[in-house]
This record gives sequence, C-alpha cells and structure tokens, in this order.
Amino acid sequence: MNDPTPSKVDRLSELPRDVRPPHDGWQALEARLRAGGMPESESSVQRRGTTESAWRRRPRMMQVAILAAVLASAAVGISIDRWILSPARQTPPVARVPSSTGAGAGMTVAYVTDPRYLHEREALLRSLDAKLATLPPPTRQKVLQSLATIHQSMQEIQQALGREPGNALLQELLIDTYQDEMQVLSTVQQASGGGGET
Amino acid sequence: MVPAAKSDSIEWEAGLVQRARGGDMRAFERLYREHIGSVYGLCLRLTRDPAAAEDCGQEAFFNAWKALGRFETRSSFGKWLHRIAVNVVLSRRRKASAQREVPLSVDADEEVAEAPGEWTLDTPVEVREIEAAIGTLPDGARDTLVLCGIYGYSHGEAGQMLGVAEGTCKAQLHRARALLRARLGVSAQETR
Repeated sequence: MNDPTPSKVDRLSELPRDVRPPHDGWQALEARLRAGGMPESESSVQRRGTTESAWRRRPRMMQVAILAAVLASAAVGISIDRWILSPARQTPPVARVPSSTGAGAGMTVAYVTDPRYLHEREALLRSLDAKLATLPPPTRQKVLQSLATIHQSMQEIQQALGREPGNALLQELLIDTYQDEMQVLSTVQQASGGGGET
Repeated sequence: MVPAAKSDSIEWEAGLVQRARGGDMRAFERLYREHIGSVYGLCLRLTRDPAAAEDCGQEAFFNAWKALGRFETRSSFGKWLHRIAVNVVLSRRRKASAQREVPLSVDADEEVAEAPGEWTLDTPVEVREIEAAIGTLPDGARDTLVLCGIYGYSHGEAGQMLGVAEGTCKAQLHRARALLRARLGVSAQETR
C-alpha cells in the first residue's frame, strides 16, 4: 500500500541547502580577518591544546570539565549497560512490550524493568536537586536542559510505543534514552563529588 | 570510489585551504563565496532569524579562518564549516537563554510563519509550507531535522554536532517528523 507520491515530510532532502544571504558580508569579514591576524598554524594549535589541558587540570574547573566532557561523551554513545545489566551481563535491560494495545498518550508503562536499574535511577533522581545545587549555574542549566530534552523524548517515544507496542526501533530508542538519562544523572553525581545513596 | 568531480573539488579546496593558511585572503574569499550559501542556509534554519543567521555565518567563517591549521585537508571543508556554524549557533542560543534576551530561535511550539530566505514568485508553495512548518518545531527537534533531513547528516554526525547522544538524535528526529506531519496535515497513511 505504498503511496507512489512522496509525502512532504519525505521530501525534506529536496529543499535547497544553499540560501543566498541578503548582504554580501565578505568585505566586513575581510576587514575583521585582517584585524585579527593570520590563521593559527598547526604547531600553535597543538601548543594551545597543551595549554588548555593544563588549564583544565585546575581544581576549581575540574568538576565542570568532567561534567562537560561526560555530557559530551553522550554524543559518542558511551554505553552504560553496567547500570542496567546484571554483573554477568546476562539479563538485558528489558524493553517490555505491553501485552495490550490499549495504552495511549501519557501511559506510564515501565519498559525498563530491571530492579537494580530502577533502584539506582530512583536514588539518583531523589538526590538530583541537592547535587545540582553544588554545581555552577551554567552547568546546572545545561544539565537541566539535557534532562528536559531527554524526558520529553521519553514521553514522546512512550506515546509512540502506545500506538505501536511491537515497534523494535522505538523500544531501542527508549532504552537509549533511558541510558542517556542515567549517564547524565551519574555524571552529576560524580561531578558534585557525591558518593550517592545506594 | 570517489567520483572524479568530487575528488577534483576536494583537491581544489585543499589547495585553497593551504593558500589561506599562509594568509592568502583571496583564497579564503573563494572558499567563503563557495560555501556562504550553505552555511547561511544552515544558520538561518537553525535560528529562524536572518540577522542572527548572518552574524552566525560571519562568526563561523571568522572562527574557521582562525582554526584553519586544524582542518584535515582530506576531509570535507563544507562539513567542517557546518560543524563550526552549528557550534556558533548553539553558543549564541545558550548565551541568549542565560541572559534572557530575545531568543535566537523559537523555544516552543509557537506558530511562526517566517521561513528561510526571501521568497520569490518562483518559490513553490509546497517549499514555503514545509519551511514554515519546520520553523514551528521546538529547537531540539528542528536542529536534528535540519541536519539530518535537509543537510543529509547521519544520526551520529548530527549528534556530535549538537552535543547529544545518537539515540537522543534519533528520538528527536522521530519527534520532529511526527510534529511536522501534524503541522502539514499529512496522515500516517500518506507517509507510509
């Protein structure tokens, strides 16, 4: 039952990538570049990298740097399976498929059912406010934004799963999103110097 | 196997980059003129504000000039520029949010009719509709949709640019497409 006519949503790639800016900004840019000097050479870039590394070792910035690095590490998808799986890694984080298809928007079916994971998550969420209070405001803001995005994604995916409970991709996405959340929560825990309640 | 034209283009750009690294402003101007449309288009779709997009585009090229020494000439200069441009947009967005200034982009599901560029009589109505609908998406969903849907980046590449996990990127894209379908009044049957 394929529609031979591609829908508007499927035609995004046909939109023009190039958009002509209203003004020619080269002259202004050239003036700025001339005032700013030559591009950095490869060697100076490397030297600066070394300096930055030393700067990052400063104790006061340590927590922020750790947090930023680990938040960024979410981008490369570092697995936190250990939080979810058993020590023997034989019990996968269960993306439980609901037996009925009646669940709709706002359903609260727990797709991730490993008790250790749930316990850990609950503890981290309980202590989150206190841990956040120890972080610098910009970092706190970043964490809250990350968590808000993650929670919104969880809600959307759960709603989609309510409509398509057997959709393996959605189940995988939900697990990924829970893992993202756990990574942020555990990072906050570490960055705030806390041992945690568990 | 890299097509000959593409390979030639990469070599041509690599030559320009090498000259620009040595301070050749004309070489950098060639790179600027070659890529400004794409960079501005990306910034405009991410910011939904022509003035902010121009600023971000200029900032991206300024940062690129300063960092030319880091560019690997065997990779795509366009992709590298896009990465820098996304960084600039996200950085400005964070600053605007922290300072509670007028936001650079739409923060919620508000209806915004504006779309990139200046529409002309030649612009198909359908394109206007799609661009306007994209403009109404929340930031995270729109960022992902623009990078993956329009500019053809993979989930992983877009995630790296946006500083989010690949899984989050997938979820955002799923969400964006669902919202876009709703905005455009496309039924699920029509899309599948």
